[in-house]
Amino acid sequence: MTFLRNPLLALTCFLSLLLGGCGGGSSDDRITIGVAFETLQTEYWVAGFDAIKAELEKRDIRILEAIADSDSNRQLQQIKTFVTRRVDGIIMVPKDAKTSIPAIKAANEAGIPIVLFNRIADREGVEFVGVQADNFALAKATVDYMVEKARETGRKHKAMVVLGDMGDHNAIGRRDGFFAAIDGNEDIIEVVARVPSEWNQEKAQAGVVNAFQANPDISFLFTSSDFLFPSIVSALKAADKYHKIGEPGHVILGGFDGDATAWQMMQDGYLSATGVQDVYFEAEASVQAILDLLEGKEVPELIRDPGFVIHQSNMEAMKDRMWGAVISSGN
Amino acid sequence: MNKKLGLRCLNNAPLLLFATVFLLLGLASDRFLDWQNLLNIGVQSSSTAIVAIGMTFVLLTAGVDLSVGGVMFVAVAVAGKMIYSGQPLWLSFLAALVVGIIAGVINAFFVTRMKIAAFVVTLAMLFFARGFGLWFTQTRAMNMPDKVTAIGTSSVLGIPIPLLVLAVVCIAAHLTLSRTPFGRQIYAVGNNSDHARKAGISVTRNLFIVYVICGACAALAGLLALTQTGAVSPSFGENKEFSAIAAAVLGGTSLFGGRGKILPGTLFGAVLIQTVENGLVILNANPYLYPIITSLIIFFAILLDSIRSRALESFHRRPIRPTDFQTNP
Repeated sequence: MTFLRNPLLALTCFLSLLLGGCGGGSSDDRITIGVAFETLQTEYWVAGFDAIKAELEKRDIRILEAIADSDSNRQLQQIKTFVTRRVDGIIMVPKDAKTSIPAIKAANEAGIPIVLFNRIADREGVEFVGVQADNFALAKATVDYMVEKARETGRKHKAMVVLGDMGDHNAIGRRDGFFAAIDGNEDIIEVVARVPSEWNQEKAQAGVVNAFQANPDISFLFTSSDFLFPSIVSALKAADKYHKIGEPGHVILGGFDGDATAWQMMQDGYLSATGVQDVYFEAEASVQAILDLLEGKEVPELIRDPGFVIHQSNMEAMKDRMWGAVISSGN
Repeated sequence: MNKKLGLRCLNNAPLLLFATVFLLLGLASDRFLDWQNLLNIGVQSSSTAIVAIGMTFVLLTAGVDLSVGGVMFVAVAVAGKMIYSGQPLWLSFLAALVVGIIAGVINAFFVTRMKIAAFVVTLAMLFFARGFGLWFTQTRAMNMPDKVTAIGTSSVLGIPIPLLVLAVVCIAAHLTLSRTPFGRQIYAVGNNSDHARKAGISVTRNLFIVYVICGACAALAGLLALTQTGAVSPSFGENKEFSAIAAAVLGGTSLFGGRGKILPGTLFGAVLIQTVENGLVILNANPYLYPIITSLIIFFAILLDSIRSRALESFHRRPIRPTDFQTNP
């Protein structure tokens, strides 16, 4: 071990071992895919991340992971690192529609196929495959079901919609889906409150409290994401509006995403319906799209996750496809 | 006389702006001035106001604490985990406060002992706290039992508990700043730390304490928010640092230190932001208008503050020559 007495040699050995340990010099012939998520700050993104990793492991594909913590510059650097490490493909959740374009361009210039998972970017001189739920159609189908339930009560309802971030394509799709479902049903639904939440629990809670202050007789509420339900329920309880389906004073509730809270509320008989994004479909489609592109096959620019509406009548039959129910059961 | 009136108006600019916004919203909707709605505004402001009070202490020393949102998150994450594991509420809440104080101590240590810029230290703490919180919770939302939200919705003598907590913190902070040697020293440090040091004030000790106060306030604010939202979500406390700084600045606190008050200053700043958001929901305003109107009001408040500062400066400026020099040499 005398060579270790030479500090320079020892440092070189240490760095070589470190780099080797990191897999930088691996001679592994397997396909490598870089997975870059903007954030892991909601259960949905965690479920998506886990689903992609499971899909890659199932196909014996090597994975490089990166989380940008909502920073588009950091995401750009992460994508450039993927390019430097010569990955075979990239699956990315962009920060938003605009700021992610340089990152996509970096992958395009290196000739690396890139798939955007669940959230797509503007196609301004860049090429990618998008895998995304049809937010508009799914929100509309969910609210259609809620309207049907409202009509069954035989009375007119005042409605509130809790909106997401107004700069998020997904949030806008859900908002438009909500209003499309209401359109033509004004005889029984009057929208009296539009609460912007910016995907923030505190803002959602305060907004719902304030909306009930202005309109105490609201009896129809749709939220653009299930993850806001704890705050909404807290506000409903404070206004004595949280009652089970069929009980006097029940507010018809609907959501979007299909998370564990929504599943619990559905089981407990409070939630009428929620639009479920099929995270497992999206993960499989993303990985398959990269493999198809590597093989030179034709892949559509946008792969739609049809999703589905889970409601009180079909919940037992559909629960195995609802990611929130799967998480709840610990599978 | 007119000059005195003008000076008084300028000194109370935040209060006048607040009254104007309140009056306009009251005229626009009769629901707005309902007693219950006023209580709602107070309750909804409580969390931001308490973070902003902690932030005011730091801003008065010409520092900044960007970590408050992350500290809020990690503090309630610890409390949430403890509540989930069956620990008593008081112990869980106490643990959250200890987490806030520890975060404040770490910030203070690096700012005062290692002499690293507060901006850098607290930014690093923001990322560390948020990352730690995400790891600690495994990015899973924790829905709190009803006994937690019961605190946020209960009242004592008709006054909601969050408002009572806010009142206690406000009065304690106000008295500390206005009636104690420590408070005076904070202003002195913020005005000029070198002069303060030469005057025998322990700048290091004062700076250390303000960061600890700010950390404790962040944790307390997190707990208040938790009692209202009923959930620890991964985005808990996100961007709270901006709301806190905005509230303090709206209330007349200078970003350069040495000037600012808790009452009415910071408190009105926090309540003003919430009042605007409350009013817009009551009026069922177009959601796209929210950021536009809120930012316009913040801009207007800061413009007023700037005009006030210049006017006060010129009012208090001593003339180099007596003005009657020409007439009475």
